[in-house]
Amino acid sequence: MKKRQWTSMWITLLAVVLVLSACGGKSTDSNSASSESGSGTVASTTLTIAAATDIESFDPHNNNNTSSEAVLVNVYDYLIKNDSEQKKVPGLATSWEQVNDTTWRFKLREGVTFHNGDPFTSADVKYTLERVAKDSTLKQNSYFKNIVEVKAIDEHTVDIITDGPDPLLLNRLSKMGAGILPAKYIKDNGFDKFLKQPVGTGPYKFSKWTKDDRVEVVKNENYFDGEPKWNEVVFRVIPEASTRVSELLAGGVDIAASIPSTDIARIEGEADKKIVKAPIQRVLQLIFRQTEGSVTADPKVREAIDLAIDKQGIVDSIAGGAGIVTRTSVTPGNFGADPSLYKTSLYDQEKAKQLLQEAGYAEGEAEMTISVSSQYKEPAEVVAAMLEQVGFKINLDVLEPSAFSERYSSKSFKEIFMIGIGNSLFDASNNYNRYMLEEAKGESDYNNPEVEKLLQSALINMDPASREKEYQQVQQILAEDRPAVYLYQMEGVYGTDSRVNFKPRSDEMFYADEITPAQ
Amino acid sequence: MGKYVLKSLLQVIPVLFIVSLIVFILVRVTGDPVALMLPETATAEDRAVLTQALGLDQPLYTQYMKFLGSALQGDFGQSFRYGEPALQLVLERLPASFELAVAAMFFAIVMAVPLGVASAVKRNTFTDLIISGISVIGKAMPNFWMGIMLILLFSVMWGVLPVSGRGGVSHLILPAFTLGVGLAAQMTRLIRSSMLEILSQDYIRTARSKGLGRMVVIGKHAFRNGLIPVVTIMSLQFTSLIGGTLITETVFSWPGLGQLLVVAVNTHDMAIVQAAVFVIAFIVVVTNILTDVAYRLLDPRIKYD
Repeated sequence: MKKRQWTSMWITLLAVVLVLSACGGKSTDSNSASSESGSGTVASTTLTIAAATDIESFDPHNNNNTSSEAVLVNVYDYLIKNDSEQKKVPGLATSWEQVNDTTWRFKLREGVTFHNGDPFTSADVKYTLERVAKDSTLKQNSYFKNIVEVKAIDEHTVDIITDGPDPLLLNRLSKMGAGILPAKYIKDNGFDKFLKQPVGTGPYKFSKWTKDDRVEVVKNENYFDGEPKWNEVVFRVIPEASTRVSELLAGGVDIAASIPSTDIARIEGEADKKIVKAPIQRVLQLIFRQTEGSVTADPKVREAIDLAIDKQGIVDSIAGGAGIVTRTSVTPGNFGADPSLYKTSLYDQEKAKQLLQEAGYAEGEAEMTISVSSQYKEPAEVVAAMLEQVGFKINLDVLEPSAFSERYSSKSFKEIFMIGIGNSLFDASNNYNRYMLEEAKGESDYNNPEVEKLLQSALINMDPASREKEYQQVQQILAEDRPAVYLYQMEGVYGTDSRVNFKPRSDEMFYADEITPAQ
Repeated sequence: MGKYVLKSLLQVIPVLFIVSLIVFILVRVTGDPVALMLPETATAEDRAVLTQALGLDQPLYTQYMKFLGSALQGDFGQSFRYGEPALQLVLERLPASFELAVAAMFFAIVMAVPLGVASAVKRNTFTDLIISGISVIGKAMPNFWMGIMLILLFSVMWGVLPVSGRGGVSHLILPAFTLGVGLAAQMTRLIRSSMLEILSQDYIRTARSKGLGRMVVIGKHAFRNGLIPVVTIMSLQFTSLIGGTLITETVFSWPGLGQLLVVAVNTHDMAIVQAAVFVIAFIVVVTNILTDVAYRLLDPRIKYD
C-alpha cells in the first residue's frame, strides 16, 4: 500500500515533467511555423530581428542610441528620409526650399493619417519640433535647440526658423529626434498614455513592448507609401552574443545583429545561413593631446605613431576582416567626404623608427599613455604592441565604459585616447567641431588658424558646393597635422537566414520594408 | 511569537537604510551618467544643462536626502534610459524572475529529493559514490557555461526547445534547469546528511524492529523529519535565486530583474540600480523573517525571545 503511494508519487512527477515538455514542444512549433512560412508559397508574415540592446522608449526625442532608432523608424516618419545611399528623399514633406538664411519652407504630404486615424497636419510638425527644440532634458535636444520657431503657414505648409544659418537643418530633420508625433493625440491623452500606446505615421503600428525582451509592431494598412511587406515585425533583445548566434542557428530569428568576429566562420558554415556586412558610421581612432610639453605635441611623433600602426593588420586579426582602413573619419555617404583619403592607410615601421629618432627620442624614451574603454581593449592592445615595436613605451589604460565616458567628458586623458566615433548627422561638422579652438581646449588642444577659419565658415555656409570644398580642405590638412590617427571604419556584421534578403545600411537602421522574404 | 515578528520587522528599517546609503554612494562614485546620456559630440554647455536638469550638480548629501525622502514615498526616481519610475520598472520585472526562481526550485526538488534519499539509504555503495560525484560536478559547473551548452544541445542541435526569451513553458525549461542544477546539487548533499543522521536514530531502529517495511520507515518516519533543514535551506536559497539570476537571465535573455540590473549597471542607470538593490534587499530580509517563523512552526523546540 505505502509502496504503491510512493510509486504513484514518482509517476505523477514524471507526468508533470512530460506535460511540461509537451507544452514546450507545442510552443516551439508555433514559433518556427511563423518564421518558416517565409520559404513556403504564402508570403511571409513575420520578420524577426535580434539586436543586442533594447530600445529606450517610444519617445524618439528622448532616445540616444542607434538601436532605438533602428526600431522606431518603422513607427515614426521624418519630414525627410535618408535612402539606403544616405541621399535625402521626401518623407512626410514632399518638397522643401530655403526662403532665406534662417528659414526653410516645407510642403507637407496630404492625406496622411496617424495610426489612430488623426490626419497629419502642420500642427503636428510644429508641436514635434518645438518640443524637442525647447525641452533641454530631452536627449535629442542638443541636435535641435537651434530651431527657434516652427510656423504653420497653412494645414500643409510649415516654415522652420533657426537662430542662424544652419546648413545642417535637413540632416537634423532626417534623424531620430525629428520623428513626427501626433499633437492632438498627445494633447488629449497626455504623454504617459502616448508612451504606452504610441502612435505615428510609419509603415508599422505599435503592438507590444516587453522591456529587454521584444518589441512587436504590426502592419499599418493605411500607410501612405503603399502596403507594408510584413504582417508583423518582432525586434528581439538578446544582449549575450553567443545566445544571439544560437538563436539564429536554431532558426528563432531571421536576422541577428552584432555578430562577433569569432562566430563569423561558424555561421558561414551553415547551409541556410549567411553573413552580411556593411560599413557603419563609426571610425575607430586615436586622438592626441597636443598640449605644450606632451610627447604627442611633436608632429614627428604623431607621424611616427601613424606609420607604426598596421591598420589592415588590425582589421584582419581583430575585426575578422570587418573594417575599412581610412585616413579620414568623414567616410563616403557623409557630406564633405574626401574619397582620396578613404580605403588607404600609411604603414612604414622603418620610417617610424627614424622619425622617432629625429624627434630626439631613443628607444623606450617616448613614453605615452593610451586610454581606452574596455569594449576596444583588443585593438588597443595590438596598437600598443605595434608602437612598442618601433621604440615607444606605452602604458595601456583600459577603463570601464562609464569611467571612460566620465574621463572623456571631463577631458582628462593623457597623451592618447582611443575611441570609436559615430556620426548620426551624416555631415563632416560632426567629426570636426572637436578641432575648433573652443572645443579642442583641454582635450586635444589642437590649434591651426587655417582649419579654424575653414570650420567656422563651413558651420554657417549655406552653399553646399563651397561648403563641401571647405571640409575637404580641412581633411587634407588634418591628414598631415594628425590631431588624430584613424585606424579603420567599422563594419556592421549581421547573420541572416536564407528566408530573407537583407542588405544592411550604413546607418544601422532596420527599415522592415527594405527587407524582403526570399523567393 | 508576535513580539518576535514585530522586533524583526523593526530591525528591517536600519538594514534597508544602510543598504540605501551604500548603494547611493557606490553608484555615484563610479561614473557620470550625463556623459553616457549625451552623444559624443555634445558640448560642455549641453553637459552642464543636463547635469543641472538632473540635479547632479548639487552636493552629495543634498542628493541623498532628496533620494531618501522620495524613496520613503516609494519614489526611486526616474530611469535615465527608460524615462519611467525606477521602482515601477523593477516591480514589473519581478514576476519574470519569480517565475524562473520557482521553476528552478521545482527542478531542484525533483532532482535532489530522490537522489539525496537514495544516496543516504545506499550509503557508501557505488550508487552513493555516483550521486555524490554528480552533485559535486553540478555544484562546480558555472551557470554561464552550462546555459550555453544546454542551448547548443537542445536548441541548436536538436531543435526541441527555444533558445531564449520568455514565452510559454518551453522557454522556461532550459534557464530553470540551468539555475536549478547548482541548487539541486547542494540540496542533494544536505538531504543525504540529514537523512543519514535520522536513519541512525533510535526511533528509526524501533520502527524497523517493529517489522515495518523499508519504504515505510524511510518514507514516513525518516523522510519527513529529514526535510526540516531542507525547507530552511530552500527558503534561503529562494531569495538568492531571485537576486542571483543575473548570469542565467543574461544568457537566456530572460527579461527579469537580473537582466534589468545588468543593463542598468552597464548604462549607469542609477535610479534602477538603487531601486533594484533595494527591492532585492527587502525580499531577502522579509524572507529571512518568514523562514524563521516557519521554522518555529515546524519545530516547536525552537524558541525565540
